[in-house]
Amino acid sequence: MEVKCPVCNKQRNSSMKIARHIFGTGDKSHRGWVNSQGVSFTDLLIAQAMEAGNRGFTTLAEIIERVQETA
Amino acid sequence: MERIIHLNVNSEDYEVIVRPRESLLDVLRNKLNLTGTKKGCNEGDCGACTVIMDGRPVNACLVLAVEAEGQNIMTVEGLAQGPDLHPLQEAFIRYGGFQCGFCTPGMLLSAKALLDENSDPTEDEIRKGISGNLCRCTGYTKIIQSIKEAARTMRSGQVDERMRANE
Amino acid sequence: MNNDKHTVVGKRIPNVDGYEKVTGSAKYTIDMVLPNMLHGKILRSPHPHARIVRIDTRRAEQLPGVKIVLTGKDTLGRKNGIWRSYRELCDEEILCRDKVRYVGDAVATLAATQEDIAEEALSLIDVEYEILPAVFNPLDAMKEGAPEIHDGCERNMNVYRQIEWGDVEEAFEDCDHIREDTFYCSSQAHACLETHCAIASFSHDRKLTLWTSSQSPYYTQVLLSDMLGLREGDIKVLKPHTGGGFGGKLSLDSAQYCTSLLSMKLMRPVKIVLSRAEEFAATKRRTPIHYQLKLGAKRDGTLLAKKVRAITEGGAYTALGGTALYLTGFFSSFPYKYPNFQYDGFRVYTNNEATSACRGFGAPQANFVSESQVDMMAEDLGIDPVEIRRKNGMTPHHEIPDQAVIQSCGLQQCLDAIKKYIRKRGELPPNHGIGVSAYGFMSGGIFNWIDTPYAFSAAMVKINVDGKVDLFTGATDVGQGSNTTLTMICAEELGVHLEDITLHVGDTSVCPVDLGAWGSRQTLMSGNAVKMAAAEAKRQLLEVACYYLKPNIVYDLNIKDHWIHFTERPYRRVSYFDVVKDAIRGKEGNPILGYGHYTPHGKGMVSPAYSFGVQAVEVKVDTETGQVDLVHITTAHECGKVINPIGLEGQVEGASIMAAGWTLTEDMQTRDGKIINDNFRDYKLLLAEDVPKMTLLEVDTYEPEGPYGAKEAGEGLTIPTGAAIANAIYNAVGVRIKDMPITPEKVLRALEKKAAEEKDSEQFVAAASA
Ligand code: FES
Ligand code: FES
Ligand SMILES: [Zn+2]
Repeated sequence: MEVKCPVCNKQRNSSMKIARHIFGTGDKSHRGWVNSQGVSFTDLLIAQAMEAGNRGFTTLAEIIERVQETA
Repeated sequence: MERIIHLNVNSEDYEVIVRPRESLLDVLRNKLNLTGTKKGCNEGDCGACTVIMDGRPVNACLVLAVEAEGQNIMTVEGLAQGPDLHPLQEAFIRYGGFQCGFCTPGMLLSAKALLDENSDPTEDEIRKGISGNLCRCTGYTKIIQSIKEAARTMRSGQVDERMRANE
Repeated sequence: MNNDKHTVVGKRIPNVDGYEKVTGSAKYTIDMVLPNMLHGKILRSPHPHARIVRIDTRRAEQLPGVKIVLTGKDTLGRKNGIWRSYRELCDEEILCRDKVRYVGDAVATLAATQEDIAEEALSLIDVEYEILPAVFNPLDAMKEGAPEIHDGCERNMNVYRQIEWGDVEEAFEDCDHIREDTFYCSSQAHACLETHCAIASFSHDRKLTLWTSSQSPYYTQVLLSDMLGLREGDIKVLKPHTGGGFGGKLSLDSAQYCTSLLSMKLMRPVKIVLSRAEEFAATKRRTPIHYQLKLGAKRDGTLLAKKVRAITEGGAYTALGGTALYLTGFFSSFPYKYPNFQYDGFRVYTNNEATSACRGFGAPQANFVSESQVDMMAEDLGIDPVEIRRKNGMTPHHEIPDQAVIQSCGLQQCLDAIKKYIRKRGELPPNHGIGVSAYGFMSGGIFNWIDTPYAFSAAMVKINVDGKVDLFTGATDVGQGSNTTLTMICAEELGVHLEDITLHVGDTSVCPVDLGAWGSRQTLMSGNAVKMAAAEAKRQLLEVACYYLKPNIVYDLNIKDHWIHFTERPYRRVSYFDVVKDAIRGKEGNPILGYGHYTPHGKGMVSPAYSFGVQAVEVKVDTETGQVDLVHITTAHECGKVINPIGLEGQVEGASIMAAGWTLTEDMQTRDGKIINDNFRDYKLLLAEDVPKMTLLEVDTYEPEGPYGAKEAGEGLTIPTGAAIANAIYNAVGVRIKDMPITPEKVLRALEKKAAEEKDSEQFVAAASA
């Protein structure tokens, strides 16, 4: 399944990879998009840094999937 | 409360005005312009300021200039005799006993003091002899080797002279 | 490659700066005095985090001898940082205007006629601070509600970097064994023997000259130009001999900036030398890092996937920490061919001294944790540590997706050499152990932080009428020996003697731009530039020599020992000196000039070439005291063609000992953000007595990208020692220390814990069999 970055349209084969891409890019537009989804870019990044497991990035991946479905 | 003192450095006499708390290191560097002797910490911990005072290696930053009055002081500038480098200097160049060179003057004088006492030191004695001198660059190995080689040269030089004297 | 065809390269050539350095005539910035010079000092914050409410400088100004006192309000208010394309990462005012962020941040600077007056005047400056809550640990600094160190930087997240190839999650499914471990790598002071210092001289012509102890005069020039609002060309940076750098003299520092500010106001030269305590507290230091590693392998030892999470302590400013963050991730994959790799690195601000580049640039940390874990994995799987490394080790022409292309790689030969050494060492005495670690490092970084349009390295060769050669290069010798290496390369290429060459370095007004001494770049990058410049000058000589020798093609000719001759029939020759004279005459009297430059291209994101090696460290552990003694360090380092064996050995020895100090004794201790062991009595570098025998095993390789096939041999050697020591301790007494520095207390505690566990299990066995 191809997933598209809602900001720059980059395609990867999973929503998790797109979530990583969004954090990895981290520029104004990617950051802004995350923040516009009712979550905080920084908080998710820090959750990823501090917690075991992948909560930070998974949360964004789920959002991406939701957005993809409604698109 | 400044006073005039007489210093004998590298066999030359100097008359200098010093303040009571002024260190020998500052006087050498700032007043006599003998900047070969380095300041790495000014607290007696690094050995970069090592000079030989009356035959003993001392940290010049811990010696008051007034205490040095009347003593024979040798700094790195006094090691070479005119065009002839001291065998320690030759060896440091040849065997790579320095990198940045900042610890080198102090190392050379600690080594000289050691060899003056003991012309054939073991490797452990060399290590001990320079244990007050920090070097961040070399890992000491080539310094130890340089000192060993210099000692050998100096001993064979002495042998040469003795043989010549016997002739 | 056949060694014999080189006349200079590959020989044991004594350092070209030797005479100056052993006679005490070598001038360092700290030794210099200018006429009419004033002495400056810097007032530093005693608080880790505080707002500057008010600074009253009147009492200080009134002290006789004090010429001026400046604060942040007297600056242009710009923020310093090397990241000219990422302004948000330029975050250090150097002279703080509103807020201090660590104990040591500068708040005022002054100049006086004498050093002790300047010192006294510092105590007369009254600063009123509003103390703010501070945070010292990156894990705390990320917490909600932690003090915000830089305005607008939420939860102190400074930089996030990721590296990824393959699919780790999928690959972990296919693994037979997975290990998850956490590690901590501690900080380290650069501890250059010459502290940071500078003399600035600005006068009525509005030009600034700065003498300073620097690893990159070009960066210093550019950064000062940004901070002072002067054109680059109006700033001349001179670098006399420099007493060590190790990454610490790469950023613009407070001595350089404050002397410049003071001199610009006073129109007189001003000198500032940092004290040893300031050097510890208020420069930069090695990045401490918390790691979580997940490593998956097949039963046969094939390493399939690796996942790394690193939280690096940034301290108060970004400095060059963004690159350390990236490189510690990149080098976490070294030197193995992981098909799947994922790295997440988080750099977090704290109210400690900023962390930055320090010899190895994040790679020693990566190696300590990775190579410890590889040993643990090998034990789990029952595989010999050398063999697991051989099975997964990089080989020539390996490609790291989207990151790097490795050309030459002698890792396998290094493993062979170390294996042979270990076998020869045979049975070890009790409580002795040998640990190994394999590593790789870059030969210069492809990072254009400063966004320079210039080539990364450039050189100019000028041949004069007497056959003497002037070599101009912006490369920087801070002790590592680049002056010697580059002179050798020039002599080799031009066919002249070392004594024919006069080297011109350390002056931005005459030397072509070079990015300086960092990332082990100069042998390869500056070396290529020098070689190209010499080749260009040589081409002009051969052109003239053709009229004498009438070769079929110019390539039949060569220069050696002051003769221009047929390569195949050297007796057919003409004097180098005659040709030089005629060439200059024919050029209307202009000297022969060759220009060379080098910028890596098409070599990935990181480096044009990589060196590799394996180190074996033997230790002896005292089980009563926990004391770890180094017995022997044996290194197989392949750096392509060795330009100067003396230089290489010196780098191996020095780097290993610096790394061993970091691992064992250099414990930087802080209390409320203040470094409490800010002197060499309490912060312990290794001494001559602590240093073991060291052996360098020769491994021959050839790197097509490097001059004469050479690669780096500088920083890379600090990489393996930490893990090799940790592995050796484990092999000696069975305890695994994952938390640096490895102090006797930690070893002892681990030994006690191990004894207790063994006792427990004995009792359990006894109980079970009863
Ligand atoms: S300067 Fe005297 S011991 Fe360091
Ligand atoms: S050579 Fe640099 S400190 Fe010894
Ligand atoms: Zn995108």
